[in-house]
Amino acid sequence: MSEIEVRNLHFSYTKGQEVLAGITLDLNLRPTAIIGQNGAGKTTFVKLLKGLLKPTEGDIFVKGYNTKEKSVAFLARYMGLVFQNPNDQIFKSKLIDEVMFGPLNIGQDEKTAKRNSLEALDLVGLRNRINENPYDLSLSDRKLVSIASILAMDTDIVVFDEPTIAQDYRGKEKIKDIIRYLKDKGKLVITIIHDMDFVAETFERVIVFNRGKVLLDGDTRFVYSYRDKLRTASLEQPYVMQLAQKLHIGTPLLTVDEFTDWFNKR
Amino acid sequence: MRTLSLYQEGDSIIHKIDPITKIIFVLITILIPIIMGTLNSAFAFLIISLTLVIIAGVIKKVLPIVGFTSIILVTVIIIQGLYYFNNRTPFFAIGTVVFYKEGLLYALEIILRIYSIINSVSLLMFTTKPSDLVEALVKKGLSPRIGYVFSSVLQIIPQMMSTVDTIIDAQRSRGMEVEGSFSRRIRAFIPLIGPAVISSLIDTKERAMALEVRAFNSRYKKTFLNEGTTFKYADVMQVSLISILIISIVLRFVH
Amino acid sequence: MFFMKIITVEHLKYKYPLSDKLALDDISFEIEQGEFIGIIGQNGAGKSTLCQALVGLVPNFYKGSYGGTVLVNGINVSKTEVSEVASHVGLVFQNPFNQITGSKLTVYEEVAFGLENLGLPVEEMKRRIDNVLNLLGLYEFRDKNPFDLSGGQMQRLAIAGIIAMQPEVIVLDEPTSQLDPQGSEEVFRVVQRLSEQGMTIVMAEHKMEKIAAYSDRVMLLHDGKLIDFDIPKKVFSREDIEEYGVITPVYTRICKNLDIKDENGFYPITIDEAHERLEKIL
Repeated sequence: MSEIEVRNLHFSYTKGQEVLAGITLDLNLRPTAIIGQNGAGKTTFVKLLKGLLKPTEGDIFVKGYNTKEKSVAFLARYMGLVFQNPNDQIFKSKLIDEVMFGPLNIGQDEKTAKRNSLEALDLVGLRNRINENPYDLSLSDRKLVSIASILAMDTDIVVFDEPTIAQDYRGKEKIKDIIRYLKDKGKLVITIIHDMDFVAETFERVIVFNRGKVLLDGDTRFVYSYRDKLRTASLEQPYVMQLAQKLHIGTPLLTVDEFTDWFNKR
Repeated sequence: MRTLSLYQEGDSIIHKIDPITKIIFVLITILIPIIMGTLNSAFAFLIISLTLVIIAGVIKKVLPIVGFTSIILVTVIIIQGLYYFNNRTPFFAIGTVVFYKEGLLYALEIILRIYSIINSVSLLMFTTKPSDLVEALVKKGLSPRIGYVFSSVLQIIPQMMSTVDTIIDAQRSRGMEVEGSFSRRIRAFIPLIGPAVISSLIDTKERAMALEVRAFNSRYKKTFLNEGTTFKYADVMQVSLISILIISIVLRFVH
Repeated sequence: MFFMKIITVEHLKYKYPLSDKLALDDISFEIEQGEFIGIIGQNGAGKSTLCQALVGLVPNFYKGSYGGTVLVNGINVSKTEVSEVASHVGLVFQNPFNQITGSKLTVYEEVAFGLENLGLPVEEMKRRIDNVLNLLGLYEFRDKNPFDLSGGQMQRLAIAGIIAMQPEVIVLDEPTSQLDPQGSEEVFRVVQRLSEQGMTIVMAEHKMEKIAAYSDRVMLLHDGKLIDFDIPKKVFSREDIEEYGVITPVYTRICKNLDIKDENGFYPITIDEAHERLEKIL
């Protein structure tokens, strides 16, 4: 059984205007990035996985549970979703309470919730600030609080919505580390993202959405080598790949390190 | 796009009338029946405003409002029919409950007035773009800041509502149960307030700065892109409408 | 050739109310007319604060303690009302949504907002609006509701609303950070076109490849201090640049790893330069 199974998924907000038009795929443990223009259906897709929306046709199974039959609160035990804007979720006046809110909701006991929360805060580097008011933190730190509050729920699946938006270099590095850590812990990480180079460095599988359908799906290197197909979805290849192609290098190179190694070994 | 505007596109003669004339019309449909205090005047204004609503082609939009108000107005008939202080002449009885003629007539007058007000206000709201209405008022001396609040609220509230939807989704995603008993729903409300307040404060601050750099508080005398719905007969109509109002006041005192 | 100084900043210091840390710490620089200036630095370095100081929102909107002077086209912005400064220097913010006034029903009317406030005659307004809508590729959307536009279109509309006021300088504070790749590209293209028309542009941005490609000079901020202000090649070739929380363009990192420099000892910063150097070796 795959972590998530999507079968012939259709969805429309208003009748006759399909946002998603027939998607069938399985999501397994490889960190997966969903890319595509705004309006391609990525956010709708994630809301459907989470059970926040229900399919108009077809089914989604999360850990074997049909999302049509289970409540959002039930599904929250298996899948966490980090929203784009941390301000949409923070409401407690103490950092530790904010992070413990999710774990307690899904039935962790006080002790486990606290342990998981401290662990999550440690991971994002905010352990020494647990008694502070989240609103006193900078926006980038608040983003980390919102990530920690999902990680503390210790779900098997973690979904990020545009994690790198408004992040600087250091913020992005930190998020990259968190994603790798989750992968090593055996969790499925899925993200919606616009930053092609970040994807190239961090994710193993890429799914390209275009007009409600899957245009490309596969290994990051494989997907990114289709320059023309990406362009039909108004997407560009990562910068390193653009340079490699311009130099007529046959090997598809994704990252600065790969490029350097290739160059030195040639 | 979700917007709260009631404006219905159309090219009837009513659509072409300028907002100020329509506002004056609304005022006299409210005032004259009160000043005259007769059933006939209330009836006359209902006929006039209803005719105008039909000409404007918005009757379909007005009927649901009339229908909804009717539910409330039934209680007016019952209360006035039974308890109006001038009740003397029994009109009919259901069992031992007696309805009086005076009360029913008074209820009828109230109902006619309310219906004519609904019609004339609808006429204004359904056939006038909110921005035209506000601009017309600003040109007549309303502060541009207050005008901005009126005209932006129609579009900004729907934006805020969608932020609230996102906040609800964010908390449900953390396992917060929003369905179930009353106390559970109340408890579920708390995690929504903080984020909603904070995000609207942030939005408001950002929008205030964005307005500022577009010279919102400029000391120049403001001009208008839209010269406004220029209606040839605006002056004639406004003068006539006001004259009718004055005549009704005079008539009232003569009697 | 004679270059006119359009912006002069001298010993600018600023502290937000309720804060005990200087957000801008003794910053001085000059910008010439027609230059494209990139501002880089990690979050919290003072990029937004500096952008807002250039139009006078700092200090006039926030209050707080302020020292030094900012002159734009000879106007002392801290001592002038923001609405007055607006016709000399415009500011575009990150979030396209919050820049839509909300009081206008069409794209065309939205652009008019600032012009009405300046009290321009209708004919002049229409001439300018037609002009900027064409320039920013928005003419086909003129009758649409601003909130129905895509992010990239909305941000271009925000720029249109500013450009229509005909400022000499336009400041953009991370204008593409919330947009998808296509929307960002639309905005960058428009900004480049404005630059080619001779407009002075100041842009804070995290996308270093873009900064490297477009900027005449780059300003590196850290902890409210001006660390460096020079041609992009020189700034991106600094050995200590990562200490300021800034990553260099991909092409620079590759060339640095391979120790490929130009005759002046700087690393290539754009795809074309990197391509040219690497091609010779391959």
